[in-house]
Amino acid sequence: MNHQPPASDKPSTCMEMLQAILDGDATPEQQAQFKEHMEGCMPCYKEYNLEMVIKELLKTKCCGQCAPPELIDRIKSQIGTKAAS
Amino acid sequence: MDILEQEVPKQHYSEKQKQEVFDHEFMPHINSMYNFAYRLTFDEDDAKDLVQDTYLKAFRFIDSFQQGTNAKAWLFRILKNSFINDYRKKKKEPAKVDYQEVETFYNSEDVDRQITPDLRVESLQNLMGDEISNALNSLDVDFRTVIILCDLEGFKYDEMAKILDIPIGTVRSRLHRARNLLKEKLSEYAKKMGYKNS
Repeated sequence: MNHQPPASDKPSTCMEMLQAILDGDATPEQQAQFKEHMEGCMPCYKEYNLEMVIKELLKTKCCGQCAPPELIDRIKSQIGTKAAS
Repeated sequence: MDILEQEVPKQHYSEKQKQEVFDHEFMPHINSMYNFAYRLTFDEDDAKDLVQDTYLKAFRFIDSFQQGTNAKAWLFRILKNSFINDYRKKKKEPAKVDYQEVETFYNSEDVDRQITPDLRVESLQNLMGDEISNALNSLDVDFRTVIILCDLEGFKYDEMAKILDIPIGTVRSRLHRARNLLKEKLSEYAKKMGYKNS
């Protein structure tokens, strides 16, 4: 299977490029290059989709926690006391 | 306390300005801070204490914070340091594994090596409930932390490097390793689900 990296100096392999995209470190040009490469490269296409689903699941399932209201009150009142003193 | 000092000249806020910075730049991050604290400690009361300590410290050292700069990263850094210096000591947690060594070993290998087990998008979609959260929680704290910072909170390499006091290269390799460990865990869950469904 042809698993050539996109034409780019850096990052040097497509898996590195994928990581840069996942990590939010890829430039729009690099992202476009990777997308173009992915169209002809099944391993990259599969890996990209898998990683994106995981990233999305993490965001939707692990972020919902709200700070308890009594914690907010406690902090505000402590800061109020400090500020007043 | 140098961990709280940024490379900016000390500010001289009036009491009113301090309150404004606190209310408008620090408090909006309270939910993210609590979520981070909870995922570090796995305990609601400990998480509350950790967040409260962090905010009190942030207020005490508010002159080291320059208005309009990255308050969220600054707060996360204080929380992370409080967790390591205060919380872990109190709980007498065992000394942590030297991940630097793990990472050096890891980096010496071909980064392209696919260690991902046979995990498919379809099997992920069958994972209902809390598997993803449990998988994240099962990771060692250093790996868990980079996933939280990057995927849950959207921090960039340079911000994570500052929050964690590690080089950017280490952030990158730790994230890579963390993602693979997470996939391994999810793959275990998916396998179990597969057995159940078959």
